[in-house]
Amino acid sequence: MKLKLSSAAALALFASAVHAQSSVTLYGTIDTGLLYQSTSASTFLPKAPNTGSVFALKDGGIYASNWGLKGTEDIGGGYKVNFKLQGVFNSTNGKFGLSDTPGVTAMFNQYAAVGVSGPFGTVDAGRQIVPMIYAMADTDVRSAQYFGSILTAWLGINQAAGWPGTSTNAPIGALYDSNALVYQSPKFYGASLALEYAPGGVGGQIQGGTRESAVLKYSNYGLNLAAVYYNGHDTNPFPLTYPTAGAAPATGLNNNRFYYLGALYTIGGFSVSASYGLGRNPANTNHVDFEMLSGGLGYKFSSVFKVTSGFYYLKDRNNSANHSSEVALGAEYSLSKTTLTYAQVGYVDNRGTMNQTIIYGSPVAPGVSTTAVMVGIRHSF
Amino acid sequence: MKKIKGLGVSVGAFVVAVSANAWAQNGAASSVPASASGASAMVASGAAAPETGRKANRALRRRVYAAISQHREISAGNISVVARDGAVTLNGTVTDATQIDKVAEITKGVPGVTSVTNKLSVQRRPFGSQ
Repeated sequence: MKLKLSSAAALALFASAVHAQSSVTLYGTIDTGLLYQSTSASTFLPKAPNTGSVFALKDGGIYASNWGLKGTEDIGGGYKVNFKLQGVFNSTNGKFGLSDTPGVTAMFNQYAAVGVSGPFGTVDAGRQIVPMIYAMADTDVRSAQYFGSILTAWLGINQAAGWPGTSTNAPIGALYDSNALVYQSPKFYGASLALEYAPGGVGGQIQGGTRESAVLKYSNYGLNLAAVYYNGHDTNPFPLTYPTAGAAPATGLNNNRFYYLGALYTIGGFSVSASYGLGRNPANTNHVDFEMLSGGLGYKFSSVFKVTSGFYYLKDRNNSANHSSEVALGAEYSLSKTTLTYAQVGYVDNRGTMNQTIIYGSPVAPGVSTTAVMVGIRHSF
Repeated sequence: MKKIKGLGVSVGAFVVAVSANAWAQNGAASSVPASASGASAMVASGAAAPETGRKANRALRRRVYAAISQHREISAGNISVVARDGAVTLNGTVTDATQIDKVAEITKGVPGVTSVTNKLSVQRRPFGSQ
């Protein structure tokens, strides 16, 4: 349930504001469940041992718990100024989520952005969830959820590429980018384009730490299509043993490339999806070159009850011994407009050095097959 | 500082009030007869019986999607439209509760639509975004 503050209340809150804020909304979600997982690991290190089964109260069965503030001011002529501050927190212990520096959390790790919208589209500047992730969610029946989805598959190739899981600065693609400028076009007959450029701000290195991405989407006639291109420089500079070993210096190294094509079709109560992704390090393709394939099938029994399933396959193009297959099945039942309960089960068959997780934030050991079950509740406000 | 504290209390009260009202689920499937806006369409196309046949069903489906996609804030890619002899069934999801009734209204306004069965529900944006 969104909580809208009136202009008067907004004025009281921001007493120094000269112009009335058209609207400010406080919103958020708390998502908590019970997780059982048959194996576990304490890190994503390549030789992390299996530390045994886990029973835990777990944040984020659907998506992470989060909260935010957003506002819009109408400046006339069809133009609006928008802001958004949004961050995750762990509902089981109250901690804030990861930033792009290991060991440092951020209050607003999902969005800290200001921008303008108008007939030309939307431009936002700051830290934000990047368009490629929304494109993947739109073309996955499991909607890039935290439990067994295109998100955990994409994170799986990141883990295989050396992501330690301790910051949001990933080696392949990105969920969040800091310093980002994102343009979103209006829709033309269902087609739209998103462009991102993030200057790195590195002294003496114009390419240092930069990101650029493009997403082409189509959404009409019950069909979502998405094509993604993402490229980054100096990404994932933190070694697995950071801070014992220091971060790699930013030199403008082009080391993060991700392509993705996906489709999702909805007919009656059914939805079906499929996708292909390719992630590689252009500076080191002999070590980092991975493919991901997905398929999904869902059925909505009623407006309050649905079941979704997905299959996710990861492959190391440099070593056929490293591959991973995951299946996930979930049921969601809405108790009200703002509260839903869920039950989900997943199984992952990891081979070689693969350590694809079933749920975000609960690592498994490389090459170990694992089953996980979670039941939980998700309440939005 | 006092002002902010006062606001906090009123916000808290508002949250309680809002929570109490939040239980009514309006997403339940409902069969909606063509309303006033659809009535003129019925007169226009419905002097004779509604068009039938697979070709007519496909054409009507396309017209409904074309009408929905005029509204840029609605993603017609997540909406299923099935037409059968003028009877249209909507299914799938929208991102905002207000869009459930809006899509039904748009559909009712399409010439040739005689009735609308609305099974749309809300799927919020990914990652808890608004």
